[in-house]
Amino acid sequence: MHTLKRSALLATLLLAALAARAAEFTVGAELPLTGSLARVGAGMHEGVMVAAEVFNRANGKHKIKIVTVDDESAPAKAIAAVEKLAGMGAVAITGGYGSNNIAPASSTADKLGLVYITSGGVDDSLVAAGRRNFFRINNTAGYEKAALGLFGDMKVKGVSIVYSTKDATSDLARSVGKALAAQGVKVAEHPFDPAITDFKPIVNKIRLQDRPDAVFMVGYENDYVGILRAARVLKPQVKAMVGVWSLATPKMAAEFPDLMPNVYGTALLPYPATFTGADGKAFADTYRQLYKKEPDYLGQFGYVQSMLLFEAIARAADKGTVAKGGIAEELRRTDRDTLIGRVQFAANGDNVHFSHRMGQHQGKNIVIVWPPQHATGKMAYPAVPW
Amino acid sequence: MTELVLQALYSGVLAGGAYALVALGLALVFGTMRVINLAHGELVLLAAYVAYTVESRLGASPLAAIPAALALVCAAAAAVHFVVARIHVDREINSLIATFGIGVILTNTMLLVWSADVRSTSSPWLQEAVVAGPLFAMRGELVSFGASLLLMGALWWWLAKTWHGRAVRAVAGNRDAAQLMGVAPGRAELVAFLVAGMLAACAGVALYSVGVIQPALGAALTVKAFVITVLAGVGSIPGVLLGAVLLGVAEALTVTLASSALQELAGMGLFLLVLFVLPNGLLGATARRG
Repeated sequence: MHTLKRSALLATLLLAALAARAAEFTVGAELPLTGSLARVGAGMHEGVMVAAEVFNRANGKHKIKIVTVDDESAPAKAIAAVEKLAGMGAVAITGGYGSNNIAPASSTADKLGLVYITSGGVDDSLVAAGRRNFFRINNTAGYEKAALGLFGDMKVKGVSIVYSTKDATSDLARSVGKALAAQGVKVAEHPFDPAITDFKPIVNKIRLQDRPDAVFMVGYENDYVGILRAARVLKPQVKAMVGVWSLATPKMAAEFPDLMPNVYGTALLPYPATFTGADGKAFADTYRQLYKKEPDYLGQFGYVQSMLLFEAIARAADKGTVAKGGIAEELRRTDRDTLIGRVQFAANGDNVHFSHRMGQHQGKNIVIVWPPQHATGKMAYPAVPW
Repeated sequence: MTELVLQALYSGVLAGGAYALVALGLALVFGTMRVINLAHGELVLLAAYVAYTVESRLGASPLAAIPAALALVCAAAAAVHFVVARIHVDREINSLIATFGIGVILTNTMLLVWSADVRSTSSPWLQEAVVAGPLFAMRGELVSFGASLLLMGALWWWLAKTWHGRAVRAVAGNRDAAQLMGVAPGRAELVAFLVAGMLAACAGVALYSVGVIQPALGAALTVKAFVITVLAGVGSIPGVLLGAVLLGVAEALTVTLASSALQELAGMGLFLLVLFVLPNGLLGATARRG
């Protein structure tokens, strides 16, 4: 009896001691929830919230509390958002969308000694600026690999690249153009102002002057719709319409069923999505439970970056180094398979293993067509939406 | 090359028609009250979202949304007038701030109601290509251009031939003299705002029928409308059409003959050039004499 009482007392003391060491960490989510990037910001925010939910459910010891501040798609507001989050006791920042917003926001975080992790900016200057606490899980190189891989499989001889003059889109377009030209592919570049609404003059130049095998679109959802609609009117004799982010998504298939058939875009998952691992299932189930819809790639990126951050916070907390730069240290030690593939950060904070996949709208589904080891179907080529 | 230039001119003229439709309401209010309604683009966008709702919920053509868009946008325009009319000190500057604030409220309301997703018509009829020899256009663009011409004619007729139209012109010309002649300036201003709301409603439905909409688009529409209004010359309805078409053609030719990246720059270049050579705008001086 005495032994039982002693054991109970010991267990109570142990639990009390553990409870005393357990902590709730505030993590700041700085994202555009209004303004021109609201759509993508909201999508990524969903992934952040799913990660917090999954982490808190699985991790009995440490808890994560997300505090979100809208940066209104504006660089100055992004700086203010990070400063506000620091003032609210955030130990790190997850989020950011648009390289123009991420650059000043992450500089501010760096000055405040806060880790900043993102998947929303592919401008290479973000990782070349020497920020010690900056981490990114995707990059231009990963998108470039996917586009070049697909064009290689298509054996294209000419590509017209239509791209928005924003930093991230210009970087990717020029990089792919340079690589294609080096392979002997005839490349024509058509940069356009983000404010442009009528793409017919550009598509007409492609139709009459360039006469390429494929059109490569590097822009955002509204640009893709404009280009595809102009192409549907002018019907250039091309074999494929290829784009990058925000294009091969279930949302685009549902919203623009007439414009999307046979169009290619970067896609991490086929649609309907299939998650095989425990992490993927936890993500998808929680996502559906919280948002009553199918998970998309923005949520997936937001989830991965946030989960890696939360795990680093937990490890640093166990070592008592959260306030001594331990979160950044733990992220630098990260090497793990995630929903977007293997993640390991280089000294500049960039994920060295990132490589995207290419999907194609086929009927109501999205089929992964590149790389071959992840392909879920064959590409329809030549094939265009009209 | 000829084919390219012809298509650029054709696309530019059609785009200009759509620009004119967006700018007409702003030009009318600016001419009457000397108030730059910075929420005008958001009013146009509001109508576009009504068209989206009617199409997506009821499966009807976006054009069927015009009555609902007219009602909602005119109510919103009346609300804007209610705020602006209460500004008696430094009206030109203070109304800018007030309408900018209203624009922000409208943008965020649209964001809450319709989310940040991009929307565009799925009507095959409107998106169908209409081919005339070497020239291509979307049917929606031709409808929009036709509607623009029709509305401009109707507006000209209303301003020239009806009592309310003449009252609006009188207030625009000389508010005090108009009052002495028995015109109630407040009422004339409200009428101008309501007519601007009607034009914005039609412009919004046209915009949804030919383009892509998202909540942040309102500010860009206002800027485009403002550029055209100043380019046209205050108070000139034909000037709005001429300015809008010139802008559309300049943009399209720049894309075709130079670089697509310079499109917006070309528009602003044209704007500055016209203001430098003709400070009253393209038809401003003529209109004043007339």
